[in-house]
Amino acid sequence: MDATTAMYVAQGIHGLAYGMVLFLVASGLTLIFGMMGILNVAHTAFFMLSAYFCYQVVAWTGSFWLALLMAPIATAIVGVLVERFLLRRIHALGLLFELTLTIGVMFVIMEAVKVFWGTENLPLPVPLLLEGLVQIGGMEYPVYRLFIIGLSLAVLGFLAFILYKTRMGMVVRAAVSDADMVNALGINVPRLFMFVFGVGTWLAGLAGVAIAPILTVFPGLADQMGMDAFIVVIVGGFGSLGGALMVAIISGLLSSYGVQFVSQLAPVLMFIFMAVVLAIKPTGFFGEREG
Amino acid sequence: MNILETKGLYHDFNRLEVLFDVNLKVKEGERHAIIGPNGAGKTTLFNVITGTYAPSRGGVFFKGDEVTGAKPHRMVRLGMGRSFQITSTFNRLTAFQNIRMGVLSRRGIRFNFFRKVDKMGDITRETDEILKRINLYGERDLPASALSYGKHRSLEISMALATDPDMVMLDEPTAGMSKDETHYAVELIRRLTEGKTAVIIEHDMDVVFSLADHITVLHLGTILASGPPDKIRKNKAVKDAYLGEMEG
Amino acid sequence: MNRRVKGIVWGVILVILALYPWLFGIYFTNVIVTCAIFALFAVSYNLLLGYTGLFSFGHAMFFGAGGYATALALTHIEGCPLLVALLFGFLGAVALALLLSPIVARLAHSAFAMLHLAFSMLMYTLALKLRGITGGEDGIGGFPIPPFRIPGVVSVDMTDPLNFYYFAMAVLGGSLWVAWFLTKTPFGQIIVSVRDNAKRVDYMGFKVPQTKAIIYTLSCGFAGIAGSIYAMFQDLISAASFGIAQSFAPIVMTMVGGVISFFGPIWGAVIFAVIEELTTRYTERVQLVEGLILIIVILFFPGGFIHLAAIVKGKWLGFIRGQWFGSIKGKWFGKQ
Repeated sequence: MDATTAMYVAQGIHGLAYGMVLFLVASGLTLIFGMMGILNVAHTAFFMLSAYFCYQVVAWTGSFWLALLMAPIATAIVGVLVERFLLRRIHALGLLFELTLTIGVMFVIMEAVKVFWGTENLPLPVPLLLEGLVQIGGMEYPVYRLFIIGLSLAVLGFLAFILYKTRMGMVVRAAVSDADMVNALGINVPRLFMFVFGVGTWLAGLAGVAIAPILTVFPGLADQMGMDAFIVVIVGGFGSLGGALMVAIISGLLSSYGVQFVSQLAPVLMFIFMAVVLAIKPTGFFGEREG
Repeated sequence: MNILETKGLYHDFNRLEVLFDVNLKVKEGERHAIIGPNGAGKTTLFNVITGTYAPSRGGVFFKGDEVTGAKPHRMVRLGMGRSFQITSTFNRLTAFQNIRMGVLSRRGIRFNFFRKVDKMGDITRETDEILKRINLYGERDLPASALSYGKHRSLEISMALATDPDMVMLDEPTAGMSKDETHYAVELIRRLTEGKTAVIIEHDMDVVFSLADHITVLHLGTILASGPPDKIRKNKAVKDAYLGEMEG
Repeated sequence: MNRRVKGIVWGVILVILALYPWLFGIYFTNVIVTCAIFALFAVSYNLLLGYTGLFSFGHAMFFGAGGYATALALTHIEGCPLLVALLFGFLGAVALALLLSPIVARLAHSAFAMLHLAFSMLMYTLALKLRGITGGEDGIGGFPIPPFRIPGVVSVDMTDPLNFYYFAMAVLGGSLWVAWFLTKTPFGQIIVSVRDNAKRVDYMGFKVPQTKAIIYTLSCGFAGIAGSIYAMFQDLISAASFGIAQSFAPIVMTMVGGVISFFGPIWGAVIFAVIEELTTRYTERVQLVEGLILIIVILFFPGGFIHLAAIVKGKWLGFIRGQWFGSIKGKWFGKQ
């Protein structure tokens, strides 16, 4: 394979990896919005928080794998606490107030990480096992990026399995469609909300750990990912996982290739696209929930 | 004169046919009840007439002119009012402010940026007059959401009449009311629709027979029968369709 | 509060504002100008949010449009008079609003919010990329600030912070008064009715999309004025004025001050200015304090400072509950 093709493929892998991480973040966000109607502005702050947790676990134990396990869970716990003690209390007030509360949570998390970890970039080394390149079919691929893609696909598969093949997943999907109805059927909706919020935050947390070695851990992480994640959710459709996946991958590839070839226009194109989609179909590509 | 007429009205929602060749005729000044089993298409008929959506086929004629597909605000300006089955008021505004909207509309005061509305004395007087007539003057400064169900429904009905329309369309005005509230509502409707045309969707047969001059029965999207109350009461097809609900 | 007391209170406020620079010095004069700019910005935002029920995540773009329009006018037009530059700012924002209003007037709520986010990010990106026009990341700065001139009568130097203070407060105060008056007119009644029940407004004979378009344009125009004064005050405008942080500012100020009243956002701007001044003495983590306050406010008195004041005054809390929170469920982004 010649050098140009190799470059294209490398770009593709990078784009795909970023797209999959973006999907993980967006999937949590779209699930939360789909079910609870809350646009969780703090979602990307959780993503960043997890990266910091990951850094700390590695600093304490030296093990990335332990961090991969623990950081998302720790982040999910924070998320559940936020839902249980903050959001749930004002649920009756409606979406404007829930959204404003998440803005407050975002402010707090974004500043709190600076308090505990300072403002510099904290580098995180890729674990030994996942360093370097691997040869597959005459081409060299970065191992870590392949790992990210693999991990994301595994999580996606697991998520899809739970949602579509288990009773609990059915309840979640029903609640995403119509939470009031599910309540009428006797399901403990507040607990369900807490669970979904936790899972959604966990997904963001997982993404945070995955991206940490690539982007390093710094306070601006939330901003960088934040905009993209929201765009993915909006364009892909509020509450639609499939839509989020599709848009996330396209977005990742676009920015990867875009950076190479259409560098000036890439962000502009993205926004124009989103604006057009929303203007034509206000619920996004796949979204059903009337917003 | 027929103040309202529909000609060959059809409506479907994505192939689901809800209205089928409806030819409604409402005479000026009459109280015209539309009855029928649930799902017969009564509210859809209202929606099509009042402009919530345009009919798939057919025409709507108001005061002799064709108004098919005209949007609600235009229908209101032409002299029509409508109330809803599910109370649809401005919940955060006071009863006074709710009615005042109708008064402002009737007087054509819309894009007025130049006067304080609370200082417009004649508007305030007229609004208070209406409130007194519907017995809501005591609740004048309460937000609509704080009203009791019966009073809230009264407000709902009055808002349909606040623009002083020539014809008012009331969708199940007594829905959810107790016997007493219903009785009161019927008297209110009778009083307020004096000299006007009223088209009323109702399920409560006592209400229908005490108010209506003319009854149209809608069944499965089409008119089964239409005539004065006595004729309808004796109509066999209507009895079959309604199965005893006629006894009230 | 009866009329007499109100009149006295306003009188006192006006006197304090008139003597402010002498009472508090130049530093705090600048602080209050910034506060007033954001007060108008937040009030303009609340005309959409609290009054019409339209939630926007990108109001910054009108602030930025006003700022850039003024900056460009002062940079490229020789001898551009002060008021003309201000007018450019207003018209720049209005033009942008008119451009968008056909699209936004009929949108569902979350689409409205997100579309504004999208467009403001687009504006931000354009401001960064079109270096030739907008100066890119550095923005446009150092443009001449013309004097306030009435030909043949008077010429007041606006580079003097003292003079600029009076000019800015006059413009911002005047705009706030106009916005306030607007809410008291019949049109003001229509927009709150639209907030509560747009369908019913249609059924009472009013044209809803046109109504929304008008309040939208006016609100954005006021935001443009705020941006314009800001550009002149700083002698600088940059892409950050289109940024997401700038869009968050009116939201949090309005919610902390009180979305339920006209004056809420003004209180919000004041509160945030105070927080900033107090906190920066001790730490850089101002946003942490702001975030905590935001959370506390939403949890315990969601109607903001106005709500808190009402509780303290023992006012009929039920009225606020019924008026504001009784039927708010699902209103924004929800079933309507």
